[in-house]
Amino acid sequence: MKEINAQQWLIGIFSVLLIASLMVVSIVEVRKTQDFAKEIDMDKNTAECVRCHRAEHVAVKQIDAWEESIHAEMAIGCLDCHAAEESDFDAQRCPESDVLIGRHPTPGDCKECHEQQVNEFTNSKHAHQFWLFKNEDRSVFETPLGTRHGCEQCHNIGNIWPDGTVGECDVCHAKHSFSLEVARQPETCGECHVGPDHPHIEIYLESKHGNIFKAKGRDWDMDYYTTNNESIPIEAPVCVTCHMDGNEKQPMTHNVSDRLAVESQAPWSFRTVWDEENSGDWKVKRERMTSICTSCHAPDFVDMYMLTADLVNLQYNEMRRNFVYWTKKLTATGVIDRLQADGKFYSDPVLNGWDETPEKMMYYTWHHEGRRFRHGAEMMGADYTQWHGIWEMQHDMAEMLAWAAEHGDKEAEEWVNCNHPSKFIPYALYDIPGNEWGIPTKLNTTPFVYSYPDYWDRVKSNVEAAWKHGLLTDAQWDLWMERYDNRDYYLGLQFKDDPKVNELWEMYKERNRIDTEAFNEQAIGLKLPGKPFYKK
Amino acid sequence: MVMSTQAESSKRFPVDGTAIGDVLFKEKIPVHMKHWLFAMGTTPFILFPIQIITGLMLAFYFIPSPELAYESVRHITQDVQLGFWIRGIHHWAANLMIISIFLHMMRVYFTQAYRKPRELNWIFGFILLGLTMTISFTGYSLTYNQLSYWAATVGSNMVGEVPLIGNLLLAWLRGGSDVGTNTLTRFYTLHVWVLPILITIMIALHIIVLRGHGISQPEGFPKESYNFFPGHMYKIVIVGLFLLSLLSLLAVILPPGIGDKADPVNTPLHIQPEWYFFAVFLFLKWVPLSVGLFIVGLVILVIVFWPFLEPLLSKKESQRALISYLLGSVAILTLIVFTLIETFTN
Repeated sequence: MKEINAQQWLIGIFSVLLIASLMVVSIVEVRKTQDFAKEIDMDKNTAECVRCHRAEHVAVKQIDAWEESIHAEMAIGCLDCHAAEESDFDAQRCPESDVLIGRHPTPGDCKECHEQQVNEFTNSKHAHQFWLFKNEDRSVFETPLGTRHGCEQCHNIGNIWPDGTVGECDVCHAKHSFSLEVARQPETCGECHVGPDHPHIEIYLESKHGNIFKAKGRDWDMDYYTTNNESIPIEAPVCVTCHMDGNEKQPMTHNVSDRLAVESQAPWSFRTVWDEENSGDWKVKRERMTSICTSCHAPDFVDMYMLTADLVNLQYNEMRRNFVYWTKKLTATGVIDRLQADGKFYSDPVLNGWDETPEKMMYYTWHHEGRRFRHGAEMMGADYTQWHGIWEMQHDMAEMLAWAAEHGDKEAEEWVNCNHPSKFIPYALYDIPGNEWGIPTKLNTTPFVYSYPDYWDRVKSNVEAAWKHGLLTDAQWDLWMERYDNRDYYLGLQFKDDPKVNELWEMYKERNRIDTEAFNEQAIGLKLPGKPFYKK
Repeated sequence: MVMSTQAESSKRFPVDGTAIGDVLFKEKIPVHMKHWLFAMGTTPFILFPIQIITGLMLAFYFIPSPELAYESVRHITQDVQLGFWIRGIHHWAANLMIISIFLHMMRVYFTQAYRKPRELNWIFGFILLGLTMTISFTGYSLTYNQLSYWAATVGSNMVGEVPLIGNLLLAWLRGGSDVGTNTLTRFYTLHVWVLPILITIMIALHIIVLRGHGISQPEGFPKESYNFFPGHMYKIVIVGLFLLSLLSLLAVILPPGIGDKADPVNTPLHIQPEWYFFAVFLFLKWVPLSVGLFIVGLVILVIVFWPFLEPLLSKKESQRALISYLLGSVAILTLIVFTLIETFTN
């Protein structure tokens, strides 16, 4: 029995020891496989910066970000971007090591390796300080401090640096990981392209593109290059897919203006002439954009979509023409005053003003609502085209004219007192028969304007004039005319009396009657017995 | 009716099922086997079929080429439904198989179950340990990440140190001067065909010899026995269920990662073979290579032929037992300590 006891003790002890120690070893080993530690080959200077920053706890998260960057992987260390000479505008000595460093790496530093990208960017409107060229001194209305972390934060993307370079690469390429995934995220563009004046991120998220992105985007690997004429690897586009990324036909570009055919952010929409000598005219730019669109869409869908968006831009100009007429007139007749000091004007009847209602309406209809109307139409943001766009513009027109009437303008008074429904369309109209989504059957039986027998002829003459003025391509005019010639089909008028259509129509008409009856009975028909409290 | 159906079917399939059942289930098991210590040989026997099943599932997705091996392992781990779980079970069953063979060997050693006439089965068992370590080594290398790539390099380097035929073996194993395309297809073939077949044959031989001799009875237990079925069979089922739960738990809590993709031109700072080679690897780092290899070779020979060497230790039974307990304890402690040092110093 002693023998058995000894054996059992030995086996028992060593079983526990072996299991415990070898399991610990295999757990340690399996944990190693879970690490993705990149091998970082640091030069001596970088190793010293990293050591000291970590020891002193200065911006250590920036080091973590750098360590996961391709820069770290490629042994591009701190001084490769932060090197400086004594005469540099941003030279400073590191307080701990006395090493001379550049505080603000500029596109000039990035250009040492990324020359093509920096050149493309420099030729884009991102780099254009357009907002400083016009008389729009914001300090009149918003104090300078308000602009520091306001306007300046976003518009720094076009900063002209003391070293003669322009731009701020890390606005999109978040330092120090410079992750493509972050740069490609719609919210990166949405840092600035957001809000009442250009709600591009909101428009995008409202579109089918954004809808698919929100549903599936979390599973998309956005860390990819599009420099090799490969197909777009994600199911729906994010902002940069259309404006920057390449596909089989288009090269990738950092010039976001390369694919834009209309200056639809400007007070007047116009065909772009930006850097035509290098980038080509607006038609070339439109071709670039449509060649991206046709990665996913049929060309006829894209052509129809773009033509309608272009007509929205032209329509905007006609609406603006009305506003300009009124603000100019009201300024000339002295109903509204321009701000001025020491012989210099600080408001402009055709651009902006800060105190009188027509000036504010003028400004909003361009800078906020007019852009939403146009940009919504360009990027599938239906709600922005309509409720946040044209609806607000019309509302402002009515408010401006009511104000003018109150302030004694006879013509405005006449407008206010006019009872004809055409009063809301005091400008020339553009239109196109039907839309690209399908063939409606009853939709086009209601518009008031169709009661004018020459409606389509008036519209046609306007579109034709725009085409002859060079604002539409020949192909667009042909497409418009094809729609015009077959407008009964595209407007669905030839189907409006079809028995199949009418059968459905009658069913819904009946349901509508029942609905109306219900709200009449439930809401309008209810009279409460308790008296109200307000006494006249 | 039933009888006649049985008779009819045995005419078509002329195998006596009752006889086979008797051999399989009515084996007499000595009563000491009721003790849990003696169930450790069952463990690798249960783990092996788990490896076959999970291995087959992994083979549906794995592609043995340097360009695609890592990507397919990543695909299995991150994309394929429950792929991480199957891979985790495969990984942990391989680790547990080696640990359980160590435990089983230790039990056999301390109960002196290798003694005459069971010397051959000890040797078969040792061959099974070697084959299991080799199949684990080849399997680990297939993941083709930085750790496994360089472990394959170090591991195959060790093969290259075998006297006389080392270089030949190394070239044959790698199919070139470095670990690369040929190595992967060779390791894959070894891992999914050659070694599983060899292991199956060796397990069969191990059990046939075990059954032939009957299970050895340690001194001091009553000389009674019971039928394999149901008592011992249930014990095996319990061990199996426990192992499945443990494997599933480990696969979920500590799933094997995919590491960084193998980069043949970028040698990591610390390269190591798999942990079950740690003790030998550490020893070879400490002593001159030729001396180290000589000693390792000698130790292997001593372990293989231990059943024949042990009777030479002393004529007195009690002294023989004492010396073998001492040697066994030293060997196990050395294995544990060396493995831990290599684990925690690198």
